[in-house]
Amino acid sequence: MMEDHRSADETNENSVKTSQQEREQEEELQRLLVPDIHDLPLTPPSAVQSNFVSYFAPDFIKPGHDQYVYRHANGLCVIGLAPTHVAFKDEGGVTAVDFNVGKSDRSGMKVTGKRKKNAQHFESNTALCKVCTKDASYIVRCCVKGSLLEVNDRLIKQPGLLNSSSDREGYIAIIMPKPADWLKFKVSLLGLEEYKKLREV
Amino acid sequence: MPDETEAPQVLNDQEEAHISSDAGDDEKQVFSDAVRQLPPHAVKDLLSVGVCTRCILRLFGIRGKIYPSSSLSPSILCAVLGEPTNADKHMVENGVQTNEGSGSHHASKELDVEPVFCSICLGILQFIYRDDKGMLVKKNSANNLAASIAELVKREGHHIDNFSLEVSIPPIVLENEHAVWLYMKRKYGSECWFGEKFHSDHISAKDALKNSIASPIETLLDVQSGLSSFRIRLTYSHTKASKMIQNFIQGIEGCKRRKQGTDDVFNTVDGSVVAGVECPDFSSSEADAVIQGSFNALQDHEYSERFKFPPEKVNEPCCLTSLCYRTPIYFGGRYLKYSRNVSQTRWIIDDERMGEASVEEILGSNILSMCQGDNYKFHAAGREDIDVRMLGSGRPFLVEIQNARHVPSEAFIKEIEVKINNLENKLVRVKNLKVVGSQGWTLMREGEAEKQKQYTALVWISRQLEDADMQTVSSLKEMRILQRTPIRVLHRRSPLEREKIIHWMKIERIAGSSQYFLLHLCTQAGTYIKEFVHGDLGRTHPSIGSILGCRVEILQLDVTDVKMDCFLTE
Repeated sequence: MMEDHRSADETNENSVKTSQQEREQEEELQRLLVPDIHDLPLTPPSAVQSNFVSYFAPDFIKPGHDQYVYRHANGLCVIGLAPTHVAFKDEGGVTAVDFNVGKSDRSGMKVTGKRKKNAQHFESNTALCKVCTKDASYIVRCCVKGSLLEVNDRLIKQPGLLNSSSDREGYIAIIMPKPADWLKFKVSLLGLEEYKKLREV
Repeated sequence: MPDETEAPQVLNDQEEAHISSDAGDDEKQVFSDAVRQLPPHAVKDLLSVGVCTRCILRLFGIRGKIYPSSSLSPSILCAVLGEPTNADKHMVENGVQTNEGSGSHHASKELDVEPVFCSICLGILQFIYRDDKGMLVKKNSANNLAASIAELVKREGHHIDNFSLEVSIPPIVLENEHAVWLYMKRKYGSECWFGEKFHSDHISAKDALKNSIASPIETLLDVQSGLSSFRIRLTYSHTKASKMIQNFIQGIEGCKRRKQGTDDVFNTVDGSVVAGVECPDFSSSEADAVIQGSFNALQDHEYSERFKFPPEKVNEPCCLTSLCYRTPIYFGGRYLKYSRNVSQTRWIIDDERMGEASVEEILGSNILSMCQGDNYKFHAAGREDIDVRMLGSGRPFLVEIQNARHVPSEAFIKEIEVKINNLENKLVRVKNLKVVGSQGWTLMREGEAEKQKQYTALVWISRQLEDADMQTVSSLKEMRILQRTPIRVLHRRSPLEREKIIHWMKIERIAGSSQYFLLHLCTQAGTYIKEFVHGDLGRTHPSIGSILGCRVEILQLDVTDVKMDCFLTE
């Protein structure tokens, strides 16, 4: 029973009514909140699956450099390493990630404001970072032409995220392409099913 | 209609008589006595330079109920003063027959003389003006002007109990008045009645007009005048006169540099005055004050130099725009949203509506039609996504109704509430609907950012739920999290990292499932709950996923409490 928060001046009748109203409110709430488990799927779709469309760029520039592009309904693209990327084939997997490639350290840039004015504009083949394994290192590129909004700087301290969850917490960067650029680029990408077939996954 | 355009006509005596019965014989006697006290030579002087009767009376501070009733021709003045009516040749009140009797003989002669506009009030207090279409209108009396205003109110469909009258007149009228005062001061300054009666007692043109028409409007509409949300606004404007002021101001500009003080204020008024916009008659009559200030700043002789007296003959009356409207009414209350397909506000992308309906439109349109207003504005204390339900005690909101024709009673408001709550698809519910004053706004905005919100989320995890998990989650109090701007809003928001506080959390098992459960939590306002649950690719940390060490997905979210004090009662 919830407490009546009103002043002591309220009549008994009003107090009772309020408590009753509150009780009814509680009951209604309970009824509404608890779902019918028969309506629930065994395994629900993931947040990525629900909110993004997944595309793949196999052999991007170099053979074996398979990358993914998750596109959100709002136009933003999350770039990352697809599970068949050659870096994962090396023993021990990814050991380090370095954003200091090309002309600047990508992890140092700061984008501010709604208009994202000082974001750097990158081409599709611009280097985002270098991913190192025990034996080799691989360049990860933008994939889609656009403004770089963010890089996943957590990878600096936790490069293992690429090994455990490259499709989620191990993403590389977030790019904002112009609508026209996206349309041009989209045609060269594969959907999930096509990609799986290609790589026989 | 007992008014005229262009040609003088006889009044509708019936109507006039009815209203002017307010001015009983006592009033007339008091009036006559007051008029007899006036210095006759000064009055004649004023008449001869084209000042209308009402302006003369108000300059001398003569008040009383006599103002509303019928027109006052100069012949009354002269008859009472016992002077021959030289003034008839120069000045005429638009061919009116009076009920006074004594002046009517002279009045008939006036019909032959062309009407002139008062050199001070430009015809305002003679009830002559040009309407919106440019037609010359002569109302002859305050009662007739009041009648057309009353008709306007009825035509607009307003139901009122009271009204507030606002009048705005062109600054040139003040100029003219000041020039007259200076003239009188020069000529009669030494006489005993000057200074005693004159100027200190004087009634402004605005007040005189208001006093004239307020009570006939009251009578015609059976309402009270005074403080009210229903405004009747009369705006007089004069284009030609403002050019005179422009010259005047330019003349002042020269000597202004030598003076102190009113620089900035005067400058800002310049633009509006020159553009022919008259000073508004609201609480902040800055323009009036500025003009008054400029009178004070200028030496009398400088003023008289620039502003000739008698002033150039005025050939045009003012334009009058009358409008009536009600100030916005605010309805406050709380709403609940039961649907996962209803947005809070109207949401249209590329001509297509998102969702089935919106809370804004359901509440706004129903309240609007009950009040018969022009349009509505919806404000709420925070918001929820289209797929998130708003339950519990509801979310505080305000609906602002503009220019309502009806102010609904409490019972009527209850009806609106019941109607909304019984709409066919029961998408939205409203509670505690009532009219709130302007404080409703501050109540809602107050501490909006500090208030806590309570949620229930339907959550799935990629492993079995253990009792230890429930313990872990319950033990976390006032936990700080860092949220980067969620990817789903990053396209239109600044990329920032925001610290938020999760006040408490509780897991409730769902019978029959080991991986689904209900998560109840209470967080700081502004926390992105969905991202806190699934982690947003690690960009919200900690998250439920990082706390439980597995993949977590959120299927549904409901707001169960918006912890604010406002609109909790009927």
